[in-house]
Amino acid sequence: MEQLGQLSTPILAALVVLFAPLVSFFIYAAAGKQLRTGIPAIAAIAISLTASIVVFCHVWNGEQIHQQISWFQIGEHAFGAGMLLNNLSAIMLLLVSAIALPVHIYSTIYMKGDSGIHRYWLYLSLFCFAMLGLVMADSLLLMYIGWELVGFASYLLIGFWFTKSAAIKANKKAFLINRIGDLGFLVGIAVIYTQFQTFDLLALFGEHGMVREALNDGIEWRYGEHGMPVIWLSIAGGAFFLGAMAKSAQFPFHIWLPDAMEGPTSVSSLIHAATMVAAGVFMLVRISPLFDDHVLLLIGTIGAFTALMAATIALTQQDIKKILAFSTISQLGFMMVAIGIGQYGVAIFHLVTHAFFKCLLFLSAGAVIHEMQHLKEKNNLAIDPQDIRNMGGLRKYMPHTFRLTLVAALALAGLPLTAGYLSKDAILIFAFEWSEWQSAWWKLIPISLLITSALTAFYIARLVFKVFYGKLRLQRNDSQKYHPHEASRGMLIPMLFLGLCSLFPLFSYNPLIFEDSWLIKGFELPETLERVNIYHTVIPAAVNGLAIVMIFIAWKWYAKGKYPQGSFQGALYQFSFHQWYLNLFYESGLVKPLLGFSKMLYAIDRVVVDGLVEKVTGLARLFAYASHWFDRSVVDAVVNGMGKTAFVIGGLMRGSRKGKIQYYIFSMFLVLLIVLFVGLKVFSP
Amino acid sequence: MISLTHFLIVSALLFSIGLYAVLAKKNAILVLVGIELMINAAVLNLVAFGRYDGALYGGQTFALFAIVLAAAAVAVALAIILNVYKHYKSINPDDINNLKD
Repeated sequence: MEQLGQLSTPILAALVVLFAPLVSFFIYAAAGKQLRTGIPAIAAIAISLTASIVVFCHVWNGEQIHQQISWFQIGEHAFGAGMLLNNLSAIMLLLVSAIALPVHIYSTIYMKGDSGIHRYWLYLSLFCFAMLGLVMADSLLLMYIGWELVGFASYLLIGFWFTKSAAIKANKKAFLINRIGDLGFLVGIAVIYTQFQTFDLLALFGEHGMVREALNDGIEWRYGEHGMPVIWLSIAGGAFFLGAMAKSAQFPFHIWLPDAMEGPTSVSSLIHAATMVAAGVFMLVRISPLFDDHVLLLIGTIGAFTALMAATIALTQQDIKKILAFSTISQLGFMMVAIGIGQYGVAIFHLVTHAFFKCLLFLSAGAVIHEMQHLKEKNNLAIDPQDIRNMGGLRKYMPHTFRLTLVAALALAGLPLTAGYLSKDAILIFAFEWSEWQSAWWKLIPISLLITSALTAFYIARLVFKVFYGKLRLQRNDSQKYHPHEASRGMLIPMLFLGLCSLFPLFSYNPLIFEDSWLIKGFELPETLERVNIYHTVIPAAVNGLAIVMIFIAWKWYAKGKYPQGSFQGALYQFSFHQWYLNLFYESGLVKPLLGFSKMLYAIDRVVVDGLVEKVTGLARLFAYASHWFDRSVVDAVVNGMGKTAFVIGGLMRGSRKGKIQYYIFSMFLVLLIVLFVGLKVFSP
Repeated sequence: MISLTHFLIVSALLFSIGLYAVLAKKNAILVLVGIELMINAAVLNLVAFGRYDGALYGGQTFALFAIVLAAAAVAVALAIILNVYKHYKSINPDDINNLKD
């Protein structure tokens, strides 16, 4: 571990990447309400992007860089803070800043005139800083700090419009669910630290890292002196996966993501593309050597199930952002499957391609919503600007937005010539190859993925056709003519950039074969499964055939308006529309019993604990009263009685001392008489 | 025959009357009169016992001195009463109680 003496270019650049958003954060924090322009934030993220390109050029396929300074020491355990730059973090740095920059630029238009815009830039900078820090952290501890900061910044951004009660509920939900995941992460860290006594990522998960070197004989998991039952290996992996499940919105923790749509659309695009949800996948890939077969199977199963479930929900949603949210959950499920089958490079590949087209989809949706909002305000309409039932025919009014959306939608559906095709096919093909080596049941995973990808094609086609084809459905309501406008240039240029990144040339010169992609080649493929050639031709054909059929059905239904009658009342429709009733289930199955349990505890507390305490206090008070009484009427009485007695005696005695001379004389005479009398009695013979 | 006892009885009566006046009267002058009576009771005792001292007549002589001294004392006492009256506008001994605690 060399000390921070000679800074090489990539290290310096990485520091710039990390600290530019932080500086911007502090600028906004210091300037407060005065600073409404987004220029510092945009400048910061642009600097980050430039610097991360530098880092990327140095690091990609080169030596990995690990620089560390000692941070603090507890007893004999030294803790370092530093950065670990390898292919994984380099591509993530580039991705985060490359997604964040267009989103920042887009936000200048989208958020124009918002009264809280200074807070918006503040939070956005913090968000980027947290994510970049998480990505380049070299120890689990630093990663955890970044992880928490990402969660916190997303909490702030989801609740950005904090006057809306739905936004507050949504950010609370997101935060609470993420706390569950954080707990998992923490447990994982604790297990790792107990076993290896270090947080260092490279030492733990590197080429010859401790995790790989640790012996696992099926009974005991041993490293050096230290060993523990092998179940802890699975527990650690499962705990880390729990963290990733919450962060990357996997079933059953996905419910926060659709609600998080209450935040500004630009934030949603950032959360969904590069920052928040990517963190979970990234973390799993970062610590991938840890997972044993059980955990991998768990990850794969959860991922496949989530993908399918979210896709079925997305089929029927009416809110444009909700559709995209469930689509994100579904795509994250794909990434989880890729991790579950051990293809970490593919997971990252899909993460990257997905980031671009999902960000683009959100920005397009934002442009549409912006326009609908505009119409709503201009004409005083009582409509929900996000409801796709009000849209339609926007192709004519917003041609550029339409074209860009189309590109992103094709990428999401996984049609050839797009980046999405490459990564999705990679996952599907690997999943089928993987299932060759598993028992027959595990075939379900690739098959469900195949179904999911068909559903994906359908729901995204439905969205595109409902929004951009047909006639503007607002028009039917009254005779007035509405004229939505094309989004402004400040929004279109970032979208154009993302649109270009959603196409194949960025990733591979060959539009049809993912294996030629430089990104895949940048990651070591785990002991390559035997290439089953048949899959490499059949699966893309199947995927695309299904997708095209689905898109055609969607076109017939939604663009031509030939709905099959009655299909919207069915139980299946309701099941999907209500998001599998999961929220309802959580509400009545978890929240209510929990509340009931809390109430019961409260009652117990009131009756038993408080009662006991009150009894004890009552007893103490009684005792106090008694001693008070005793003090007053016995101790004091004695003292006072003495005083009073003395006083009375004194009073009695001084009764004759009234200044009456004649009394004095009388008493003197009396005394004289007594003395005489006594004297006579005593001394008389 | 008038014996010593009769003298002593008269003297005692005289002394008692004087004592009563001193103790009971609400007038300083009368108190003074009482004192005089008591002095006279004492003087009577002196004279009565003096009969048995035929040689020196000490009792009688002492009585003479006592009468003179009593007169002088009365003069002083009257002067005091006069001053008391000036100060208190009263000669009731009950009103003159400034020495009480």
